[in-house]
Amino acid sequence: MKTNCTQHKECLQVIQRILDKEATAEEVARFMANKDQCLPCQEGYDLELSLKKAIKNNCSVSCPSDLFARIKTKLFLVLILISILIPLFC
Amino acid sequence: MDIPVLDSKISPAKAHAIFQQEFFPHMDAMYNFALKLTNDEDEAQDLVQDTCMKAYRFIHSFEPGTYAKAWLFRILKNNFINDYRKKSRGPSKVEFEWVEQSITGDEDSEPAYQADLQAETVNDMLGDEITAAIQALPVDFRMIIILCDLEEFSYEEMARILNIPIGTVRSRLHRARALLKESLATYAKTKGYV
Repeated sequence: MKTNCTQHKECLQVIQRILDKEATAEEVARFMANKDQCLPCQEGYDLELSLKKAIKNNCSVSCPSDLFARIKTKLFLVLILISILIPLFC
Repeated sequence: MDIPVLDSKISPAKAHAIFQQEFFPHMDAMYNFALKLTNDEDEAQDLVQDTCMKAYRFIHSFEPGTYAKAWLFRILKNNFINDYRKKSRGPSKVEFEWVEQSITGDEDSEPAYQADLQAETVNDMLGDEITAAIQALPVDFRMIIILCDLEEFSYEEMARILNIPIGTVRSRLHRARALLKESLATYAKTKGYV
C-alpha cells in the first residue's frame, strides 16, 4: 500500500465532491478503486467523512417556540389588515 | 409594525397557506443559519423575523412546489449581508481566534499548512468544540460549511443562494474545510487529544 500520495491535493477535492454527492460516477469509481491501495487517501476519506458527520450531528439548534409564535402572530395580523384594506382599494 | 406592500396577485388566504405548507417547516433551519451568521441569539431572532416579513413581501416571486428552503435562505443571506453583517459579533471562543488572522491570499489559494488531524480525533471531540471552531471561521467560510454539511444544499443551490459562480463555491468550500481542519488540529494539540 502507498504511504505517500503524489496527487493528494486533487484526491482531497475528489473526496469532498464524493461526500457532497457532487462527483461523477466515473470519479467515484476511479477513487474507490485507488483508495484501498493508498493510505493517505484512506485517511483523508475517513477524516472528511468524520468531519461532515460531526457538523451534521452537532451544529443544529431549534427555533425558539416564542419566536415562532411571534412570527405567526405578526404575519396573521398583517394578513388580517390586508384582507380589510384590499377591498377599500379595489 | 411595518406593513408589507399590498400584493393583489396573492390573496391573504393563499399567502397564509404558502407559509404554513412551504415556509414554516424550515423555521428551525432558518434560525440555525441566522444564529451561525450573527453569533447572537437576539440578532438571529430579529434576522429570522425580518426574513419572514420579506418573504411575505416578495411572495409573488415564489413558485409553490419549488425549493422553498433555498428561496428563504437566499432572502435570509441577503438580509444578513445588507442589514446585519456590520454589527454581527466576532468569534465566541478565544482559542480559535487565530484562524481569523491566518487568512491571507486570495480565495483560490490553498492554506500553507496541511492539517495534521485524524478521523479518530474528530470523533473524540465534543459537539461544542466543533461548533466553536466553525463559529470562529470568517463568516463567508462559516456560511458555506453550514449550507453544505448541515443543510445539504447542492453546489448549484449554494451558488444561487450566495450569488457566486459554482467554481467559487467549490474553492471556498475546500478552503473553509482546510481552515476548519487546521483550527481543530491546533485545538486538539493544545487540549492533549493528540
